[in-house]
Amino acid sequence: MFTERFLRDKRGASLTADERARIEGAIGEVKTIAPRTIIARAGEPLHQSTLLIEGVMSRYLDDRQGLRQLVAIHLPGDFLDLHAFPLKVLDHDVATLTSATVATIAHAELEAITQDLPELTRKLWFATLLDAAIHRAWLFRLGRLDATGRIAHFLCEANARLFSAGLSDGRRFALALTQADLGEICGLTTVHVNRVMRQLREEGLCSFRASLVEIPDPLALAARGQFDPAYLYMETVPDFLSNAKRPRS
Amino acid sequence: MMPDTAGPQPETEPGIATAEGGLVFLEGPDGVAATMTPDAAARTGQSLIEAAALAARQQASDGS
Repeated sequence: MFTERFLRDKRGASLTADERARIEGAIGEVKTIAPRTIIARAGEPLHQSTLLIEGVMSRYLDDRQGLRQLVAIHLPGDFLDLHAFPLKVLDHDVATLTSATVATIAHAELEAITQDLPELTRKLWFATLLDAAIHRAWLFRLGRLDATGRIAHFLCEANARLFSAGLSDGRRFALALTQADLGEICGLTTVHVNRVMRQLREEGLCSFRASLVEIPDPLALAARGQFDPAYLYMETVPDFLSNAKRPRS
Repeated sequence: MMPDTAGPQPETEPGIATAEGGLVFLEGPDGVAATMTPDAAARTGQSLIEAAALAARQQASDGS
């Protein structure tokens, strides 16, 4: 089932069997895309949206010198350019970071869903609002946190999102990103990321080797990154994250 | 009603610069996180010292 992880464990937005069947029936194509492949460019008209089944994808903007800022990453279960349905063009590029399997759904099919199924439409809207909530957290991360805090916050977010998708046990998960990717997510140079990762490892907060992230004490890492999972609207916030609150002055 | 905050304030604590692997890492103040070559770091440092001296003279002038 291609939609197994879509809105999994999301508060008040889990799909019913009928809703899931409707989305499954709307899928036009399932394909696997090579790593580092652009699937949508800013300004190009789009007639379909993409559900990520396996792999990691990104949305990004390049500056005038070609230096890149990743403005979002997408994990399995994310409907990554659902907002292209009403917008029709994107203001950023979308690319795979790893090998990725995606399902595409024509905008005409989404249009039919919005006409027939208001409750499912609300859940699709929820998915785009969740993206917006994650963007707000990314703004906070870049605006307020130091280098170690940024990396800690991002890894906590990845852990929580993958836990929701059933791909993390809360302390250990696969994440096939490079240190350059982490740098482009957190606004740091690769050498700075390398230094921070070593620091986190030496402090016993996190290790990241061979695409495997291990977080022995998720609450301690969350405290270091001021990570509060509320913005992920999880149905059940697991114990390993439940005490993580952003310090208030 | 959204509680008022003072908004971003001038930093009173310095950033900390360290060297490693032939590069300079500047951490803080606040959310600053930069990696610089030795030359860029030295010129940044010089620029900061000159600006700090000027700002101190401006404060002294404003206070007189």
